[in-house]
Amino acid sequence: MSAVLFILAKFLLIMAAGIIAGILGSLTGLGGATVLVPLLSLFFSVPIIYATGASLISTIATSAGSASAYTKKKIANVKIGIGLEMATTAGAIVGSLTAVYVYAHNFSWTIYVIFGVVLLTSLIPTIHRGKYEEPPHKQADWWTKVFQLQGSYYDEKLKKNVSYTGVRWWLAELIMFFAGVISGLLGIGSGALKVLGMDWAMNLPMKVTTTTSNFMIGITAATGSTIYWYEGYIQIFIAAATAIGVLIGSYLGAKVLVRITNKDIRWLFFAILSFLGIEMLLKGLYLGKFIAFGPSTEIFISSVSAVLMITGLYLHQKRGGMIGKTV
Amino acid sequence: MEKQYDIDTITSHILKAGVLTSLSFILIGIALLFINGQGDHYTLSQIANFNSTFNSRFIPLTGILPGIIALDGVYYVTMGLWILIFTPITVVFTALYSFTLKRNPSYVVMSIIVLFNLFFAMIVVPRLLI
Repeated sequence: MSAVLFILAKFLLIMAAGIIAGILGSLTGLGGATVLVPLLSLFFSVPIIYATGASLISTIATSAGSASAYTKKKIANVKIGIGLEMATTAGAIVGSLTAVYVYAHNFSWTIYVIFGVVLLTSLIPTIHRGKYEEPPHKQADWWTKVFQLQGSYYDEKLKKNVSYTGVRWWLAELIMFFAGVISGLLGIGSGALKVLGMDWAMNLPMKVTTTTSNFMIGITAATGSTIYWYEGYIQIFIAAATAIGVLIGSYLGAKVLVRITNKDIRWLFFAILSFLGIEMLLKGLYLGKFIAFGPSTEIFISSVSAVLMITGLYLHQKRGGMIGKTV
Repeated sequence: MEKQYDIDTITSHILKAGVLTSLSFILIGIALLFINGQGDHYTLSQIANFNSTFNSRFIPLTGILPGIIALDGVYYVTMGLWILIFTPITVVFTALYSFTLKRNPSYVVMSIIVLFNLFFAMIVVPRLLI
């Protein structure tokens, strides 16, 4: 009996990790999986293979859960999403096959390193995101006409219809391919890259970008998940717990997000994420035998660098003005 | 008329229904695993072990139907996870259908390419890897 209770506790613990990941992921805008993989692999000693497998599949649940709300409100642009999915799904195939190669040749330390680097670099655009609601107007180009990249949505906050014109579709496709590769390789949604592709390359409004990216993440993750399934990267006990946990967490996160008036609190979450990113990086370097710290030194270095990095970014933003207008 | 049943609303319903069905199967599956103390001839502690060698590779999809009839928790969870995988795929099918109705050839082609990639990953890639 006690053995069963122990296993039940294990299930609930993983589910709790999923809930935390879901909350942090939606509050920072990075997505649950980006938090889940480090949590599982660093603190629950789940093998990285199973951590990424469980995360990728949980990503579909959160994407579908939140996208169902956004597509109904007609903010997400399904057309632009499908067009860009050509590149992300192809990228996801390449990414998952790369993962297969990496694990088969015992290079799994590289997954930790790449994960750490991706997490840390995606923090920067995420922090700077959302300075303006409407992008500066750009002239429609050849791609706009051919791929019908114009659209509009009703903005509840501004109380008006916002119309937009997408440009540089080819550049977005290129970025989306890399977003797909990262998603398949690391088992995350790579929403930060997707947002970069649509926000920066296509000049779409932030709301359209984030919601369309959310809708796309599910399709990208489904592509990688099927390859992960046949390769045996999905441990169903862990995946079941995280799928439920992350879904609950991101639902709670979305509820809390509306109530957070003091935007400075988000910096605390960014600090936690950068800590996780540096930890992943160090763990990878340790497993690859490039460094040889004890675990306590590793945590010390990660904490100090995380605090330094976030303080630096915080001061940089304060000086640049326009802070706190995010989300 | 068209506004009520447009692609966005249908997509939203499919996504919601997919997630809810999938979660129900997963929850039932986990409950069955705990009640039966085993699944697919593995003990509960083998299934729950984080370093377990029992993973998706050893769960044949052809076992889903018999597994569900036999109230095997492993296959309920498997069914739930595959419904989750198929949820976004259904959305692409819906989009393809809507682009066909609207006679939008370039987006019909694009949806087909996305579906091709999805099924390539699902059917062709696993055979190349074995």
